[in-house]
Amino acid sequence: MTLDPIIPPFDPVTWAIPVFVITILAEIVLGRLRKAKANYEARDTATSLLMGLGSTIAGGLTAAVVVGTTVWIWQNHRLFDIPMTAWWAWVAIFFLEDLTYYWFHRLSHERRFWWASHVNHHSSQHYNLATALRQTWTGGVNGSWLLWLPMAFLGFPPAMIAVQKGISLVYQYWIHTEAIHRLPRWFEAVFNTPSHHRVHHARNARYLDSNYAGILIIWDRMFGTYIPEDDKEPPRYGLVHNLGDFNILRVAFHEWIGIGKDLLSARSPREVIGYLFGRPGWSPDGSRETSASLKAKWQAREAAKAAEPEQIAAE
Amino acid sequence: MTPRRAGRNSAPGKKANDVEDLYILIGSAVAVAMMVAVAAWARIARPAPALDEASARAMLADEFPDDAPDQLWLAADGCGVVARAGARALVLFRLGDSWVARTLAWEEAVKAPVRGGKVRLRLRDPAAPVAALTVSGVNPWPPQDDNEAIAA
Repeated sequence: MTLDPIIPPFDPVTWAIPVFVITILAEIVLGRLRKAKANYEARDTATSLLMGLGSTIAGGLTAAVVVGTTVWIWQNHRLFDIPMTAWWAWVAIFFLEDLTYYWFHRLSHERRFWWASHVNHHSSQHYNLATALRQTWTGGVNGSWLLWLPMAFLGFPPAMIAVQKGISLVYQYWIHTEAIHRLPRWFEAVFNTPSHHRVHHARNARYLDSNYAGILIIWDRMFGTYIPEDDKEPPRYGLVHNLGDFNILRVAFHEWIGIGKDLLSARSPREVIGYLFGRPGWSPDGSRETSASLKAKWQAREAAKAAEPEQIAAE
Repeated sequence: MTPRRAGRNSAPGKKANDVEDLYILIGSAVAVAMMVAVAAWARIARPAPALDEASARAMLADEFPDDAPDQLWLAADGCGVVARAGARALVLFRLGDSWVARTLAWEEAVKAPVRGGKVRLRLRDPAAPVAALTVSGVNPWPPQDDNEAIAA
């Protein structure tokens, strides 16, 4: 059997579109019948789905550069010839692509330049299957796709990389739901699940910057970013500073506009670099909140709360 | 990263792929309209009742845990609240079935203009430029007495 190393045999995302539609309708109907936990607000849903539709158009505009570069690297500079028909090659790319995704996702949260593209995915205050489709319009222009080039350099055919990226995206769709509480312990230990990903979408200070996994949660456990869902503190979804309306242009571009405004006020190269590549919320005088400062304040409040009964007892 | 399917380099193949992509796009747009319509029909948004003083204070405590708001001004329709915490105004307003929180200087807040029955608070944030809260004769803006809590 031979497979074209450049043109993928199928696109998992295109194939999954009917599944997206059917499962979203099913989640809404089950929510309506009170058979599953699901909240949908019509304008929020419209925003999420239009962002998804716009994302496919925006992705198409930059696809030529992304695909062309990947193919060029693979054709001219690959280290090994990795066959698409070998089972071990699929096992290897599964782990390698998922590890790449973890670091891409972590970068997308911890550095403002990439957060500006990714923030829209977190801008819904709902957590349902429609939220999964609230995808970026600017992912193709921020250069994050370069992170996948080492796989082509190693010798994985571009078609294989495209299929595995699609599989990862489709996997991450179904975990955007409140309808599933917890899965068997072994599954929760190894795979990204609705519970793990609810934590990732939470704006509660204690949950910020955690659970970056694509398919396997093991990377978060390995790199110290894993936080389990605590039933005593349900996730509150959205952004630390939520958007003021449902305008999809604001959803897509607000953080880029914020960066632009900050750069206009920058007074030194240090400030330019900080505003572009610092953590989201970075400011020269530290007057704005970052995930780290919000977590520190939360920890201080928790410590104060814990100390209260001891103080009362001592008095 | 999805290279086109068959015949990538030939003109007829490219045209066939473009037509297929157009069908997928049109089909997706129709599906989006249908899903939004079903979501509207289902009426399963979270309950978001109008704020009263107690619920407003609870929500402010969640959003601004390090602030101690004293004076409270509730929008006439219960869809927003402005609370004074020292020199800051803590603002909370409803969006759909959710809430949006911001702060601005109290001095700036009390100077905010009232137009069309709404006080328009400029938030200086591209993510939420303005909070427009409903004003009535019972609870005019700015609050009439800075020293006393005013709630509609």
